[in-house]
Amino acid sequence: MIRTLLYVLGGIFLGGIIHIAVVLLIPDFANRDAWTSMGRFGPDGAFHILPMSEPGTEPLPYLDPRLAHAACRFSLDDGPIRIKAAMPDEFWSLAVFDRRGSNVYSLNDRTAERTDIDLVLATSLQLTKLRENPVEALDQSIVIEIPATRGFVLIRAFVTDSADTNRVNTALKAAQCSAPLETAPAPPQPAQP
Amino acid sequence: MRLLIDLAIAIAVAALVGFGSAVLVLDRDSLFGAVSRGPWTAWPDSGSPDADPYSKAILARSGEVPLGAGEGIAFLSDHDSTGSRLSGRCNYEVSGQTPPARLWTLTAYDGDGQLMRNPIGRTEFASREILRREDGSFAITLSPDVVPGNWLPVDRDANLRLVLRLYDTPLTSSGVGDAVLPAIMRGSCR
Repeated sequence: MIRTLLYVLGGIFLGGIIHIAVVLLIPDFANRDAWTSMGRFGPDGAFHILPMSEPGTEPLPYLDPRLAHAACRFSLDDGPIRIKAAMPDEFWSLAVFDRRGSNVYSLNDRTAERTDIDLVLATSLQLTKLRENPVEALDQSIVIEIPATRGFVLIRAFVTDSADTNRVNTALKAAQCSAPLETAPAPPQPAQP
Repeated sequence: MRLLIDLAIAIAVAALVGFGSAVLVLDRDSLFGAVSRGPWTAWPDSGSPDADPYSKAILARSGEVPLGAGEGIAFLSDHDSTGSRLSGRCNYEVSGQTPPARLWTLTAYDGDGQLMRNPIGRTEFASREILRREDGSFAITLSPDVVPGNWLPVDRDANLRLVLRLYDTPLTSSGVGDAVLPAIMRGSCR
């Protein structure tokens, strides 16, 4: 009897370990998390406009029905990525999340102090390389270190009224999630005589 | 034989305790990091790398994308200012002041967090478009029936959940502190 009780105690102890493991591993294995859900909207590496939240058709839970959203899943495996977008002159905000859904970076149109978005996302290793060999085209870019190789970006833009929807959607459609780091190849230097 | 039975008991107990407790905890709103002001609750750390593991797991299961600190903050309410559950059977008036923010929206959901169908297709109000009194204060009326003024239609047979989203607000950097949020007063019920 006492022996069985010991096994039960052991089971409870093991249950505690399972509890901790489940809680810690869920962000990597959940199948309804934001990262997985965003895969529905199109291939990775490009922004996709999410349908406006309406009763019965909400692309993601608890998105503001008054804001237009564009999402992009990215991977840094093939090098840093550059995000460019020309945004309308109204409230917008952008947030970068890692694969597990942690918010790595966020800004809005006022903190950005400009109406266009120009971000470079890089891992710490890629960032070191970028610092060693600066790319001139990135002078004006905001460079962000991402502590993961996969993640997603969500742009939110305020829609003032239904007539404004097209303007906002046009801006979001033109948003680039994998813009080239160098806008144009540097012209060859003339040989010194 | 005895050993096998004991082992089976231990494993059954472990699975029950481990998975059962995890599901129980993760099926609810986040326990930690909640900041409440009146009927409103916000989770400023939700989605941040500093969030506790439970909040992260709950977020991953819900599939929400929380507002980043640079975007804004969302306050949620299931109750009126007296603490009663919000119900579509009653009228409510959301009124008063909002903390400073460049833009805010007030959205009505049912108890499951879904937007509600209604004849005028309105699910939210934005700060720019509400009718205000002369002193700048406002009142938004939640009701299943048409009411004059700022009418936010709701389903009669649903529990309600309100979400007030403040965009570009100092609350995200300085903390919620003693921010004053709108009151939710119950009117007539049926």
